[in-house]
Amino acid sequence: MCANALNGQLPAGIMSGRRDDAGAGIFSTRQRVAAPKPIQIILARQLASSLDMPILLVDTAGTLIYYNEPAELILGQHFDETGEMPAGEWGKLFAVEDDMRNPIPQENRPMTIALTERRPISRAVWMRCGDREWRYLNITVYPLIGEGGQFLGAQMIFWEI
Amino acid sequence: MEVTLWGTRGSLATPGPETARYGGNTSCVGVRGRAGTVLVLDAGTGIRRFAKTIPASVLRVDILLTHLHMDHILGLGFFGPLYRPDAEVHIWGPASSTQGLQARLKRYLSPPLFPVRLNELPCKLHFHEVPRGDVDIGEFRVCSALVCHPGPTVGYRITSPTGQVLTYMPDHEPALGALRFPALPREWTSGATLAANADLLIHDSQYSVAEYGCKCGWGHSSLNQTLDFGTLAGVKRLVPFHHDPDHTDADLDRLMLDAIDETKPRYQVSPGMEGSVFEL
Repeated sequence: MCANALNGQLPAGIMSGRRDDAGAGIFSTRQRVAAPKPIQIILARQLASSLDMPILLVDTAGTLIYYNEPAELILGQHFDETGEMPAGEWGKLFAVEDDMRNPIPQENRPMTIALTERRPISRAVWMRCGDREWRYLNITVYPLIGEGGQFLGAQMIFWEI
Repeated sequence: MEVTLWGTRGSLATPGPETARYGGNTSCVGVRGRAGTVLVLDAGTGIRRFAKTIPASVLRVDILLTHLHMDHILGLGFFGPLYRPDAEVHIWGPASSTQGLQARLKRYLSPPLFPVRLNELPCKLHFHEVPRGDVDIGEFRVCSALVCHPGPTVGYRITSPTGQVLTYMPDHEPALGALRFPALPREWTSGATLAANADLLIHDSQYSVAEYGCKCGWGHSSLNQTLDFGTLAGVKRLVPFHHDPDHTDADLDRLMLDAIDETKPRYQVSPGMEGSVFEL
């Protein structure tokens, strides 16, 4: 029901753009329903996916919503296989100890502090995923705050020391 | 709802014989509801002609700004109802991190850029900041959300009482940073939820594929990306919009045909031409 009020005819072939012989395209018919991510989170993922440093992205509830390929090497998991992981699940993937080799309880881990206190934090830790070797890493986490002070989640970076 | 394209050009008004068919006015789309609600989507130079079609009996008009780049607000000072004391004009648009919508608009609607100040306009002027959740404007339900474009920029999803959906995203670069596009599901793609299953999507298509390669990050899409975005969102009809000032009518005809041939959309594509009217 389109009419071009000013200009009359369109070039042949353009107006009838429907192509019933074409493929359905990605996700067009099998789209799963999920809450849309804020644009800042989408951009954070796109940036992380193009960086060669391990990055984790979590939402406000602590759900691990994305980790990039370098982080997959640390976690021993592939994002394409695990998808998103609730806080209680991904937090158990690795053990974390302080410089004195004392376990760091969940409530004192950098990600928990960044999420609950909404402030950046950086500290060195010993970390081990599953039965792999212990690694000495610096973990930096910063909260993601959008316009109007909207709290969106947090981003974690691992840095090998 | 009736949707009319009053300005389809991006970036800069581009009058002239070589752009006469697609149009040279910058972004402005008029929406009229069956119950009389009048929405103006962006205030580019196309708004002046639209204003002349709004009868004096219409006492309230809502202007929905996607963002405050010049090509989307340049016509604002020439919108007739602003000068009617009996008119109620509501302006919706994004604030920045440091300034509200009204303060941001004041930078343009004040000397030396414009002779009339915002607070001198005789109409009853109201400002509303977006994005926000669902809002009822007259007979329409309007949802706004931030989308990928430099500076605070929103897209709008407008739903009629009978369920027809118009989505308007004239400046949008959903492919920014994507290694492949589209490769992620809707919830991970800028604007895709806003456009999901829309009856009509009016969307940025400023560049050719080759041009996008040189202008990645400028906030716009190639025509091919736009058509793929329409497939991802499951739209029923798509209007490529916000044409590059350097694209003539002949260029756009060729680009549209090439992009349709390459992306093979299964929905109808109606190139954004000034004066086009769509009934939803």
